[in-house]
Amino acid sequence: MTKQHAYLFDATRCIDCRACMIACSVENNVEMGESYIWLSGAGVMGEYPDLKRASMPYHCMHCLEPDCESACPVGAWHKREDGPVVYDASKCIGCRYCMNACPFQVPHFDWNKGIIEGAFIRKCTMCTQRLEVGQVPACVHTCPTNALVFGERADLIAEAHARIAAHPDRYINHVYGEFENGGTSYLILSHVPFTELGLPEMPETPVNAVSEAVMEGTIPFALAWGTVLSGVAIGINQMNKKKTPSSPALPPRGEGSNPPLPPVEGSGVRENGTEATK
Amino acid sequence: MTTLSRRDFLKMGGAAAAALAVGQFVPPSVAQAALATGQVNAQGDGEIATMCEMCVWRCGVLAKVRGGKVVKLDGNPDHPHSNGKLCPRGQAGLATTYDPDRVLSPLVRVGKRGEGKFREASWEEALDIVAWNMLEIKKKYGPEAMVFSSTHNLSQVQFENLLQAYGSPNYGTQRSLCFNAMIVANLMTYGMEEPGRSYEGVKYIILTGRNLAEAISNSETGTLIDAIDRGAKLVYIDPRFTKTAGKAAEWLPIRPGTDLALHLAFINVIISEKRYNAEFVAQYTTGFDELAASIGQYTPEWAAEKTGIPAETIRRIAQEFSDAAPNALAHNGWRTSNFVNSFQTERAITILNALVGNWGVTHLPAGGEESGALGKPPQPGYPRISALRLDGVPWKYPFVPLKLGVFQELRDNILKDDPYQAHGWFISRQNPAQSIPDRRKTLQAFAKMDFIATVDVIMNDTSWFSDVVLPEASYLERYDPLMPMGAKAFIRQPVIEPQGQAKSALWIFKQLGERLGLGDYFQYADEEDYLNQQLAPTGVSLEEVRAKGYAELPEGEAEVYKWNTPSGKIEIKSSTLEKAGFAAIPTWEEPPAPKSGEFYLLTGKDARQTQFATHNNLLLKKYDDEPRIWMNAKTASENGLVDDDLVEVTSEVGKIKVHLEVTQAIRPDCVYMTPGFGHLSMGLTTAYGLGASDSDLHISYTDPISGGQALSQTFVTVRKA
Repeated sequence: MTKQHAYLFDATRCIDCRACMIACSVENNVEMGESYIWLSGAGVMGEYPDLKRASMPYHCMHCLEPDCESACPVGAWHKREDGPVVYDASKCIGCRYCMNACPFQVPHFDWNKGIIEGAFIRKCTMCTQRLEVGQVPACVHTCPTNALVFGERADLIAEAHARIAAHPDRYINHVYGEFENGGTSYLILSHVPFTELGLPEMPETPVNAVSEAVMEGTIPFALAWGTVLSGVAIGINQMNKKKTPSSPALPPRGEGSNPPLPPVEGSGVRENGTEATK
Repeated sequence: MTTLSRRDFLKMGGAAAAALAVGQFVPPSVAQAALATGQVNAQGDGEIATMCEMCVWRCGVLAKVRGGKVVKLDGNPDHPHSNGKLCPRGQAGLATTYDPDRVLSPLVRVGKRGEGKFREASWEEALDIVAWNMLEIKKKYGPEAMVFSSTHNLSQVQFENLLQAYGSPNYGTQRSLCFNAMIVANLMTYGMEEPGRSYEGVKYIILTGRNLAEAISNSETGTLIDAIDRGAKLVYIDPRFTKTAGKAAEWLPIRPGTDLALHLAFINVIISEKRYNAEFVAQYTTGFDELAASIGQYTPEWAAEKTGIPAETIRRIAQEFSDAAPNALAHNGWRTSNFVNSFQTERAITILNALVGNWGVTHLPAGGEESGALGKPPQPGYPRISALRLDGVPWKYPFVPLKLGVFQELRDNILKDDPYQAHGWFISRQNPAQSIPDRRKTLQAFAKMDFIATVDVIMNDTSWFSDVVLPEASYLERYDPLMPMGAKAFIRQPVIEPQGQAKSALWIFKQLGERLGLGDYFQYADEEDYLNQQLAPTGVSLEEVRAKGYAELPEGEAEVYKWNTPSGKIEIKSSTLEKAGFAAIPTWEEPPAPKSGEFYLLTGKDARQTQFATHNNLLLKKYDDEPRIWMNAKTASENGLVDDDLVEVTSEVGKIKVHLEVTQAIRPDCVYMTPGFGHLSMGLTTAYGLGASDSDLHISYTDPISGGQALSQTFVTVRKA
């Protein structure tokens, strides 16, 4: 049987350095205005001097039963046996149902490309290109504190429970993602309530168990609605194109930053230099 | 908003290389050499081991190359500083190498200084101009009229060679703005610059402002988190609730400048309750009795008044620390020159460690970065230097090591012509325009110079004020001297061809040396020849080092219980300080405090930036926080300020405008700024206009013993702009 890969994130080890986010950007050629990982969590909690910190790199949960896959009218989404939830741009019609369906609000639309240049939904891919050559995802690989680890899902669930059992005072007694939304391939341990990491409270029944029944036979509807949304998107795209970005205003130079300057010798240095070569 | 993808700047790199290829045939030597050692295949795809330079920790890197471009950097698992990991700065290294603002041709100033108008020049011409000016200055005013400055890079050994061969005593490093207090305190106590640290088996850690989660030293940060995970207790002392504070079992928001009082009280408890390791103290230390006789006054109750930390907390931590000993570690910190009493603070920390006898367990003999196993090119002796140093070392600061110096004093004495006038400044990969406190004065010092030349990868603020800018190849494009570490010497080697006309520092210094008539000091044909001469005594070939990333060196037996002090022991009472008439055992010095309505101005670190050099990196900017000034939420509300207000911050020497970050994570009497922002150079198109510079506000105060700049001894007022 193929290994079902997963990530385990331990918030007690995360120092919010964001090496994972930069590694992801480089590995996946993510545009400057885009990110597949975003910083989540309350940051500083409490009131001085009784404070706590918590943060988390938030990315696709790679659900076992992904809502994006259920919601997609054209089968552009697919949960691979080895873990990643992947997307096929060639099938996508740009309806963005997946964006509405995802309870973690992960997939996002690439407005730079839009529907005209081909529909593009962006999200974490679990670095499938790395998995194929036996490497772990870029974010995990670089994590300086091993807050992120990667492996077989069943092993990581066992590891997570072992960590809780070893330090019950340190962790919330729960492995987020073990059962949430039917189980995910991003598992999370935390010292603060999961909502403080920006994670939604989630029933154990996947949302799509309900929606899947409704979705059956709705492709014609989806196509029609997709066309309407496409129209809107084209309009927005056109509008966006008309806006020329203004160059950023430069702040005034601080007082005292222009000192008295010495008499300028202009290009004298050069002539001198030329002389020296004779 | 700047939108530039990595692909875009990959293209730019390619375009620059192509443009060069039109005029001049450059063989793809890097790719060919890598092919020969089996690091890349015939298509130029593969992984090359080298070393990071995004900070001074120097992690091992595996650079993934595809057809002559570097596309990804990963930590080298064979390197003890990275253990296969890279921090955000290391990961973002590509955006420094492919920075669209790279200087790729020698530049000569054509406009006024600071106007940023330059013309491109050939290397021949640019080097001739620099050499001619340096020779003129030497002829007219003597070699001491030329100031040299550079900071902590692997080519520094050849920079120092150039400076000594030229004959100037004036050497400016960044160290007095950082760790002079720590180094000099360690020299006085242990006879070594910085003892090593081990977190293996550690059970109790006290970090005094050592913000390891944000001022990341990759492997040390990782091992600290491992230690906490294993159950070690971390006590973190800092006026800010940093990300390290977030990992601590206890955070003590101490009043700035009173860390000395806290450590004196720790020592008081350990001595008065006889919690010290009597055997270790008797065998390996001197001066314990004098310390015991004077420490009685520094009770936890006394320290509570000074620090704002309850006496029972101080007592309990001292007890816990000594109970955990020898598996206990009080960290010296790095950027510790924060008040003029910082030297005594550092002494107290070193003594706290000595008292509990953690030597050989958590506190180790220093692993130096120099190794006798490597060779070096032959060279004649240096000319004798009779002129005094402008920075007062050693005539005013007898204990400051020559290679540390007192940078802020150097700048001040340039302004005062004391004891003589400086006329030129040669700067390699350093940014004094941003780093030295009271920036207005630094710019005045530049203005006094007849000639300024800089060597750098980008148009930093100092280059912006220079007459000639010499473009250095980035760390992924060049060789540097090998770096010994323990039983290995690691290599920094090019993984791509230098872009444009950029050259290695080894090449630049040699070229300059030859033009200055100092060719005998640079007896290496090129970079590879330099490394070959280093490797000659080891019998290891350069090819093998290039393929593996390191050379194995014979390891000397390190003596554990050996200290290079006058007594040969750990000096609790420093005989050196006593002879010079300074307090020979740590003694309380009251630091100045802000007046009503003023705040302590704190500086610190952010995990995305290094000192004054990385702010133009697009990938770091993408994921960094907006540089704002922190203020405690309650204080802000009392002052009618809200988050993101534009505020005017004023000190005795300067004024800035910056946005406010209202936070719970700081003492109510402090404000905090991440240093390095507020760039002057418009040649930094990403960084220009971001935030403000704390150097515009900082006042220069120098600790008379260590020469350290008291960085937090500046007080400011804050009002809505």
